[in-house]
Amino acid sequence: MSGTESIAFDTPQRERRADTFAMWVFIGSEAMLFGAIFLVFLVAHVDFGPAFAAASKHLSLPLGTFNTAVLITSSFTMALAHRLALQRRWRATVWALVVTSGLGLCFLVVKGIEYGKEIGEGLAPLLGMPFRYAGPDPVHAEFFFGLYFAMTSLHALHLIGGIVVIAGMIALWRTASPANRLRRVVTVGLYWHFVDIIWVFMFPVLYLINR
Amino acid sequence: MSELRKLTFGYLGLLALLALTVGSSLVDLGGFNVALNLAIAAAKAILIAMLFMHLTGTLPRLAVAATGLWLIILFGLTLIGR
Repeated sequence: MSGTESIAFDTPQRERRADTFAMWVFIGSEAMLFGAIFLVFLVAHVDFGPAFAAASKHLSLPLGTFNTAVLITSSFTMALAHRLALQRRWRATVWALVVTSGLGLCFLVVKGIEYGKEIGEGLAPLLGMPFRYAGPDPVHAEFFFGLYFAMTSLHALHLIGGIVVIAGMIALWRTASPANRLRRVVTVGLYWHFVDIIWVFMFPVLYLINR
Repeated sequence: MSELRKLTFGYLGLLALLALTVGSSLVDLGGFNVALNLAIAAAKAILIAMLFMHLTGTLPRLAVAATGLWLIILFGLTLIGR
């Protein structure tokens, strides 16, 4: 046995290369999805700048900054998992993965607290909930919050997907060969870092640019 | 430099850039705030891609270049038409 998961590959190295390339292509398609939403936000921001600037001030900068730090840290621990898997230190690799997904959960909890705060203040134009906004130009402020919830919830869905896949990977850890363990850590890691990069752009665009 | 130290420095660099971007947003630089925030976000993305994602090899770079090209078309054609 050569230790590959698919019979299409002679060696684990080849399989890992194919996986990596496929992940980068997938990341490209995801970048197009997020790019389109960023573009909508950019055009709206150019047209309704003052309304967007006023609305953005209602977001919590401390919670947003904290969450950015949490996600950057989770990327660091994911990179550590990759490093440890290369050294075949499997127990430590699993711990790094557990910490990574735990930090992902922490991000989601803080995001949930933020959502709760915004819904409580009547700033969530979702599911027919009342939108109460005292600032100027409430029509376009409502548009800002619509985009805010669309962008951040799409990002949160991606994060949930990453956490589920890491959990599945850990559940199947014992039955996986060393080559497959490394392959999976590398592949999931690429996805995780990409979701981090999306947030790295989303944070200044939503929380900072309009201040 | 050992790989672990590289990762740690990269991580500290990312946190420093986060502090810089939040700090700069509290100072009014006129039109430069937007440019600075986006430049810092791009710097963070490059750090993550090179250090954490090991963006090396022809095929991954080809995929990233293609993504960049399509994003330029998406943004360029939309903004030209306005």
